[in-house]
Amino acid sequence: MKLRTMRLLSGQAVRSLKKTPSVTSIIVVMACMIVLSSFMLVAVNLTHIGSQFQADVQIRAFLVPDLPSDAVDRVGGAIQGIPGVASVRFVGKDEALQRLGKQLGQDSFFLADLPRNPLPESFDISLTRADVADEVAAATLELDGIRDVRYAPKLVDRLVGVLRILWGVTGAIAALVLVGASLIVSNTIKLTVFARRKEIEIMKLVGATDSFILFPFVLEGIIIGLLGAGGAAAIVYAGYQGVVKWISSVAPFMSVVTDSSRLGLAVIVMLCFGAVVGLIGSNISTKRYLKV
Amino acid sequence: MVNMYGVYKVYPGNVEALRGVNLNIDKGDFVFIVGPSGSGKSTLLSMIYRGAVPTRGHVLVSGRNIARLRWHEVPMLRRRIGVIFQDYKLLPDRSVYDNVSFALEVIEASPKEIEKKVPQALSMVGLAHKASAMPEELAGGEQQRVAIARAIVNDPLILVADEPTGNLDPDTALDIMDLLCDINLRGTTVVMATHNQVIVDTMRKRVVQLERGMVVRDERWGAYCYEA
Ligand SMILES: Nc1ncnc2c1ncn2[C@@H]1O[C@H](COP(=O)(O)OP(=O)(O)OP(=O)(O)O)[C@@H](O)[C@H]1O
Ligand SMILES: [Mg+2]
Repeated sequence: MKLRTMRLLSGQAVRSLKKTPSVTSIIVVMACMIVLSSFMLVAVNLTHIGSQFQADVQIRAFLVPDLPSDAVDRVGGAIQGIPGVASVRFVGKDEALQRLGKQLGQDSFFLADLPRNPLPESFDISLTRADVADEVAAATLELDGIRDVRYAPKLVDRLVGVLRILWGVTGAIAALVLVGASLIVSNTIKLTVFARRKEIEIMKLVGATDSFILFPFVLEGIIIGLLGAGGAAAIVYAGYQGVVKWISSVAPFMSVVTDSSRLGLAVIVMLCFGAVVGLIGSNISTKRYLKV
Repeated sequence: MVNMYGVYKVYPGNVEALRGVNLNIDKGDFVFIVGPSGSGKSTLLSMIYRGAVPTRGHVLVSGRNIARLRWHEVPMLRRRIGVIFQDYKLLPDRSVYDNVSFALEVIEASPKEIEKKVPQALSMVGLAHKASAMPEELAGGEQQRVAIARAIVNDPLILVADEPTGNLDPDTALDIMDLLCDINLRGTTVVMATHNQVIVDTMRKRVVQLERGMVVRDERWGAYCYEA
C-alpha cells in the first residue's frame, strides 16, 4: 500500500476515533486493563517474594559420622548432579558449632562446656526452584553417606500453591478481558462500519481492494486498544508508585518489584495485549459486517 | 464480453431468480434487459460485476469465469466495469468532483491521473461547470450524470445500468439515454435493465426479455412489448 494512501486511510480512522462511541470503548478497555494489570502486578510481586523465599529454601543433608573426606567429596558431587540443585556447600563440624552459637546468641555460653563437638557434618543444598524440593530431598536421602535430610516442605508447598492459583486467576481474567474488551471494540467498529456503509458499497463497486477497505477499521481498533492499554498502564503505574512508597514506610522489610526493566516489560506486555484486543475486535466486526 | 451458460441463481428461501439463462453479449453491444418486476433483471446484471455468483451454470466476463476468480482478482474485475443504479448512490457529503475522484482514489490512482481523468469524465457528462456543487444541489438527471461520470472515469469495458432512468422524467431520461449512447459509441459495452417502454421502442437496440428467470425473447432490433 502506498504511503499517500496510508495517510488518507489513517486520517479516516482518526476522524472516527474522535466520536463518542470510540471514546467510550477506550474508557471501557482502559477499565478492563486496569483490573487485569493490577492482578498482574500482585502476581508479579508475590512471585518475586516467593522467589526470594525460594532462594532461602535450603535442604540440609546430614552426613553419617566420621565419613572419610574422599567419600564426603563423592557425596557432594552426587548431590550437585541432582536436577534442580543450584549449589552445594559443605558445612564442617566447627562451622556447624559456630552457626549454632550464633543462633543461640546470649545462651551460647554453654557450648564452650561441651566435652566434644556433637554436631554432624552436613551439606547446605540450595535449589533452582522451590517446587523441586521434595524430589531433591528424596534423591539426596537415597545417597550412601547421608543420614538425614531436613527442609520445610509445608511452607514451600503452600507458597507454590498460592502462586499457582494467583497466576491462574490472572490468566482467567486476561482471557475474560480479551473476550470482553474485544467485543466492546468490535461493537464500536461496527458502528463506524455502519456509518460508512454507503462509502463501503461504492468502494466495492469501483474495485477497491479488501485491504484498502479494511485498513481504517483495523487501524481504529488497534488505536482504541493501544490507547485503552496505555491509559491503564499510566494509571496503574502511578498507583503502583504510591503503593510502593506506602509499603516501604509501613513494612520496609517487604521487598517489592521496582526495577524499571521488569516494570517496562509489564507495560509493553499490556500495550501488546491492547493491540491484540483491538485487532481481534476489528476483525470480528469487519468479518461480520463487511463481507467483501 | 459477457457469456452466460445455463445460469441459475437460487436465493435463500428457494427463490429461483434465474433459471437457465443463456446469453452472449459482444464487445460494443448495447443491450436492454426488460421484463416484469421480479423477473431477474437485477440479478442478471449483478452477475456481470460479480455482485452475485451463479448457483449453477457459468458466467464469463471478458473471458474469465466470475465464480473462479480469486479474492484479489474480484476488485480488478470491478475496475473494468462501471455500474449505475436507479438511486445514483452518490456520497452526500462530497462535491461532484470528489464523488467522481473517489472512484479513482480508492483504487490508489496517482494524483496526476485523477487530475486528468475526473475533469474529462465530468465534461463527458456535461457537468464540468458543476464540479464543486454538492449532490443535493443537483436535479435528479444531473445526479445520475455524476454517477455516470464516476462509472466511466476509469474507462470501463462494460457499463452496467440498472434502471438508470427509473426516477427521471421522460425528457431527462432521454438525455441520459443520449449520454449512454455516446459512451457506447466510444466502444464501451452497455447493458441496461429498464421498464421504460418509450426508450426501448425509440432506440431500437438489442432487447433481451426475461420472465420468471428465463430468457423468453432476444431480438437484434427489438421493441419493449411484452404481455405484462
Ligand atoms: N438478495 C436477495 N435475496 C433473496 N431474494 C432475492 C434477492 N434479490 C432478489 N431476490 C428475488 O429474486 C427475484 C428476482 O429479483 P430481481 O431483483 O433480479 O428482479 P428484477 O427483475 O430486477 O425486478 P425489478 O424490476 O423489481 O427490479 C425476485 O423474486 C426477488 O425477490
Ligand atoms: Mg431490479
